[in-house]
Amino acid sequence: MNPRRLYRRFASEVLVLPGRTTVLAVCLVLLILPLFHRHPYTLRVLSLTFIFAIFAASWDLLSGFVGQLSLGHAIFFGVAAYTSALLNLQAGLPPLVTIPAGALVAVLMGLVVGIPCLRLKGQYLSLATMGFPIILTGLVYLFSDLTGGELGVSGLARLGPTRLSEYYIALVLVLGLGLIMWKITDSKVGLVFHAIREDEITARASGINTPLYKLLAFCLSGFFAGISGGLYSHFMRVAGPSTLSVLTSFQPVIWTIFGGVASIYGAIAGTFVLYPLMEFLRVAPELRTLIFAALVVLVLRFMPEGLTPWFIDRVESECPRCKEHNAVTRRTCRVCGAPLGRPSAPGAGPFQPGKGGRVAG
Amino acid sequence: MLTDILITTLINASVYAMLATGFSLIFGVARIINLAHTAFYMLAGYFIFSFTTVLGLGLLPAMLLSIALVVVIAVLSYRILIDPMREHEAAVLIITVALAMVFQELMLVFYGGHFRSVPQLVSGYVTVLGVRVSSQYVVTIGALVAILAAVWLVLMKTRLGLAIRATAQDREIANVMGMDVSLISTVTMAIASAQAAAAGALVAPLFILEPRMWLYPLTIVLAIVVLGGIGSLKGSIIASAIIALSETLVTFLLPSGAFLKGAFSLGVMIVVLLIRPEGLFGVSFEGER
Amino acid sequence: MVTPPEASNLLEVRGLTVCYDTAMLLNNVSLSVGRGELVGLVGPNGAGKTTLLRTVAGLVRWEKQSKQGTRAGNITIAGEVRFDGERIDSLPPHVIARRGLVLCPERRRPFTELTVADNLMAGAYLQKDRRALRETLDMVHQMFPVLKQRARQISGTLSGGEQQMLAIGRALMTRPRLLCVDEPSTGLSPLVKKELFAKISEINRRGITVLLVEQDTALTLSVCARSYVLSHSRIVASGARQDLLADQTVHRSYLGLQSP
Ligand SMILES: Nc1ncnc2c1ncn2[C@@H]1O[C@H](COP(=O)(O)OP(=O)(O)OP(=O)(O)O)[C@@H](O)[C@H]1O
Ligand SMILES: [Mg+2]
Repeated sequence: MNPRRLYRRFASEVLVLPGRTTVLAVCLVLLILPLFHRHPYTLRVLSLTFIFAIFAASWDLLSGFVGQLSLGHAIFFGVAAYTSALLNLQAGLPPLVTIPAGALVAVLMGLVVGIPCLRLKGQYLSLATMGFPIILTGLVYLFSDLTGGELGVSGLARLGPTRLSEYYIALVLVLGLGLIMWKITDSKVGLVFHAIREDEITARASGINTPLYKLLAFCLSGFFAGISGGLYSHFMRVAGPSTLSVLTSFQPVIWTIFGGVASIYGAIAGTFVLYPLMEFLRVAPELRTLIFAALVVLVLRFMPEGLTPWFIDRVESECPRCKEHNAVTRRTCRVCGAPLGRPSAPGAGPFQPGKGGRVAG
Repeated sequence: MLTDILITTLINASVYAMLATGFSLIFGVARIINLAHTAFYMLAGYFIFSFTTVLGLGLLPAMLLSIALVVVIAVLSYRILIDPMREHEAAVLIITVALAMVFQELMLVFYGGHFRSVPQLVSGYVTVLGVRVSSQYVVTIGALVAILAAVWLVLMKTRLGLAIRATAQDREIANVMGMDVSLISTVTMAIASAQAAAAGALVAPLFILEPRMWLYPLTIVLAIVVLGGIGSLKGSIIASAIIALSETLVTFLLPSGAFLKGAFSLGVMIVVLLIRPEGLFGVSFEGER
Repeated sequence: MVTPPEASNLLEVRGLTVCYDTAMLLNNVSLSVGRGELVGLVGPNGAGKTTLLRTVAGLVRWEKQSKQGTRAGNITIAGEVRFDGERIDSLPPHVIARRGLVLCPERRRPFTELTVADNLMAGAYLQKDRRALRETLDMVHQMFPVLKQRARQISGTLSGGEQQMLAIGRALMTRPRLLCVDEPSTGLSPLVKKELFAKISEINRRGITVLLVEQDTALTLSVCARSYVLSHSRIVASGARQDLLADQTVHRSYLGLQSP
């Protein structure tokens, strides 16, 4: 394809929509940021943000898309963190091997959690999943010879030789895996996930093997959460019981819901905003969590659907005819040419009484 | 030792039952998973601590006052932060977690992370069935059981109780039958938070206060609610007994493995769920909306 | 052109328009129900009958308020509803119920996990006078003896017909002045259906005004002194049985009855 056509295609796919342009701009800024600013602390915070964004997106895949609202997502994160740590320390394997291995164990954990949860619906599932990481924490303490108990496993190999390399590894992974997850939700499988969330019984009645798809969702989500868990343990060079804590389970939920559920990019955006904010609040260590929690409450109170839907609502509008999105500045739809502008509800105007056929008296 | 096991089980079971029935009530009527529920339990303990040590009130007035204060806080947070968001289920979930965190952090700011304790309501021992038991334990168990029974009676025998149960079944129809469902939800929130606060107030003299003390009971309460069947009060109470017993057994029979009590109880929950997915006492009707 | 509401009418609906997002569910609907009348409302599926009753009972406004800020909350309501001469279109459902207008909903919707007796008592929520409550309960039991026999059964386990009787009984327990019944005969055998219609006439004879929404046009027209035909969100015809039957177009296009 010649470059001009390529550019035109790019312009018509990406630049026309403020939402997509913003995503592109953020990616570019993050890619070139170290050229201007490479303070180790900034790089560290951003790398952790990227790692947690993968975690949040994996939660969104399972809970936002398939509607299996998990409150125990730390189990995937923690099991992979411990697996990578132990493989690295005991078997001397490099991160390139231990992280995928941790992710595979997290996939198995997806089966372990998913199979009992297959029979649970909605709220039951959320409440039940919360227990799994706690059970695993119990086991971690039980086998403290191996797991180091309270202190965890420490002294792992670094993710990369320098902070900068770690930054790029994490950045490339969050962009790549984020794209993969987004593609999954956009595919036929994603459609099935949607169907299961909206109405599982009907989905089942249309011949979809819903248990299989739900297990698949658990495993996929476990896989991505596992990668982030492995990355985390190598980045921090320690895997401890905090990776399995209730708070670790709540974090992706908070980030994702704050960013906007069922969109993957919402989860990533939520993490990008909230994780650095939490770090920044270290200036007031006493009040850090308090301010954070209060902010989350207030923001959600006024943007109940989360940050990204709110933002997209401001900068884009939906074509009433073809449902394609358009920049809010456009007058006509870029796809079908229908006139845009705020759709006025037909009932809003004045009505002439007596025009409704034969009005009874 | 047998009496110790029995007493500990009874105390824990009645505390869990108080917390779980309240959680279940508010879940049934207002359709929210209130993850801040056990934070009310924690708040009550701290309020008593400040009323007794700072204001120098007697323990009993301090308890009553702190329960009232917790109810006010709970009702205000419900009306201002939670109720307007009902339609955004996910946002409600996070708001309740964040609320619990706010409460926890406020306690940390005001009282620090040290362990605090509250004086006992009564001292001395009584002899029950030939065994010497601390009076405080007997009073606590008695009060908890009495409150549970009172809540049960209100729910089953009064007009308000019927309205609460009807609203839990179908808000819209309850509304059409003349019930002010938003008032009823608020009242339910008040009852549920009063239960949590009362549980916290009654066990405060026995336990140690600590700002994170809401987290562990929360996980256990969720397990109990799932185990007993969401919305079933009887189920919640029996499941509380099961979980409390399994916890106590682990603590007493495996003193070095006390950290396993949570894991073990949750394991019990998962095993039960594998056998009965709707919980012990959950009911399900075909074609229900 | 707007006529003053007739004081004698118990229910007076004027120019009612309801839109869900961009779909118009009711288009300038006007209708009235006089005191003591038994009025029918018929029309094809999806005409807007249920929506009309839900709007009158205040449920649509309530839905709009509780879903405010979400897409599903984009509901527009215009027009006025008067009950006993007073505007009720801005009142919440429970206040409307207190005034004496009660809805017996589509698809029965008993409080599934409560017993039959508790369901009836829930209907009597507004009844503070114990004697009057007893009397109403006796009347309902007499009208539907099944409800007495099955008092302790969990209502979710009742058969469809029994649930329907329960729903009507529950609505009667509020001692309504206007009873709006939405499709009471769904899923009933023809014989039971006839009985049910007889019961509804009986309720009406006891002095309760009834607005009856039904699919079975022939039966409805036969028991109701006056009926409205709703189609595609508008009232297209109204009048007594003979008038409606005499009109050929109405007959063919809306009622689907065999020509006499
Ligand atoms: N919440 C809603 N949002 C959008 N459309 C709705 C909603 N509720 C009802 N409708 C639509 O409005 C139309 C009228 O519905 P309504 O239930 O009032 O019909 P009806 O006359 O009672 O039909 P039936 O005889 O089948 O019960 C239908 O086309 C329905 O799909
Ligand atoms: Mg209908």
